[in-house]
Amino acid sequence: MENKVKIYTTPSCHYCSQAKEYFTENGIAFEAVDVLSDAEAMKEMKSISGGARSVPVIAVNDAVIIGFDRNAVEKALKAS
Amino acid sequence: MEVVLYGTEECPFCEKARTFLSARDIRYREINSPPGSAVWEEMRKLTGSESLPQILIGNTAIGGYADLVNLELTGKLEELLGVSAGKQQSSLYDVIIIGAGPAGLSAAIYTIRKMLKTLIISKDIGGQITWTSDVENYLGFSQVNAAELVAKFEDHVKKFDVEKVIGEEVAAVDLVGRSKRVTTGDGKHRFGKTVIIATGGRHRPLNIPGERELLGKGVSYCSTCDAPLFRGADVAVVGGGNSALGAVVDLISIANRIYLVSLTALTGDPVYREKVLKSEKVEIFLEHQPTRVTGETMVEGLEFKSVLTDELKTIAVEGVFVEIGIQPSTSLFLDILATNQKGEILVDTECRTGLAGVFACGDVTTVPFKQVVVAVGEGSKAALSAYSYLMSQK
Repeated sequence: MENKVKIYTTPSCHYCSQAKEYFTENGIAFEAVDVLSDAEAMKEMKSISGGARSVPVIAVNDAVIIGFDRNAVEKALKAS
Repeated sequence: MEVVLYGTEECPFCEKARTFLSARDIRYREINSPPGSAVWEEMRKLTGSESLPQILIGNTAIGGYADLVNLELTGKLEELLGVSAGKQQSSLYDVIIIGAGPAGLSAAIYTIRKMLKTLIISKDIGGQITWTSDVENYLGFSQVNAAELVAKFEDHVKKFDVEKVIGEEVAAVDLVGRSKRVTTGDGKHRFGKTVIIATGGRHRPLNIPGERELLGKGVSYCSTCDAPLFRGADVAVVGGGNSALGAVVDLISIANRIYLVSLTALTGDPVYREKVLKSEKVEIFLEHQPTRVTGETMVEGLEFKSVLTDELKTIAVEGVFVEIGIQPSTSLFLDILATNQKGEILVDTECRTGLAGVFACGDVTTVPFKQVVVAVGEGSKAALSAYSYLMSQK
């Protein structure tokens, strides 16, 4: 199954850039949204993450990971 | 080429030889040879030696464990094993640098320019510098975005085509002896004649109830990343140094009210202090210590007490930014290297750790003033020391 990845970011967040680089390097397509300029994305991020107030929030298929936790991301990718 | 190891059970150097061979994926056949036995006699005839272990590669008796190590260090082991010339290059590095922050990357520039075979292993690139937004005190750059500065460091290293393993954390090290082993989380071993430790530090947690539970739910260690998510909110910043004051300055234009809680007087740069003290949004509690982050699923408040009177206070906040400095990433080295009370590795003026061939630089060491420019300088020193050490071993 094709992995569905969405990253919720802020512009000044280097961990967000690292997460995006990770997916690019591994050839995994992703959608990135800036929660500061996109109120809908902010709402969505909060609702799927149980109210996270920290970026990045990474949704891999049904799994939601707060922060760029490489191991958790890999696990979620493998689970698909 | 077949490798044969003559050994016995209760023989520490046999065990070392076994570990050495298996760590390098070198297959061997072991012959149990208790002294005085018939096989031991046979070994004595073949090798001209009575001590254990004895190792044979094909028909060549190479000697014991120390000889094995020496052969590797001189590059002759692979020749004997018949590893093809192309592959030969890959096994033993002159220098393995652990960490790719300013200290590690600077060390790499120097080792590569000394033509040392260098490997960088790091879980990420940039280290703590990536937690800040702008750098204004690095020579040559009056103001530069931290991510851009890291990109420049990285590009500089890339010019020299250095080998890198990024994304893997080092899980174990064996630094005693002349050939050092560095094992990453995926179980792969790498070997080096020297190791430069540049692992830096990570955020120091408060270690109070609620902090871990509400991480990401209002508790943050990265104000640069998360401050913009607290528009119009009341927040607390814990700490009194540059990082804490920097966080407050970032938050002044975003949050509604900022409570700064510090155990000590404010120690950050006057430039920051002035901005913080001038703002009407900021309320400061000095000589106060946080005791609990409150809230069930989200941060709802911060409880703290006066260190003078023990009086408890609770403020209602949605965010708690913890900026109380860093702790050195030294857990792998605590048993083998001397550290101070903070866990920083003791080094001399040449970045030597006291263990031959092992050097350390940057924020992971006892060198004071955790600054990018200091780390860069220390990285170069560690590299040049490693070079001197390698020359002295020839």
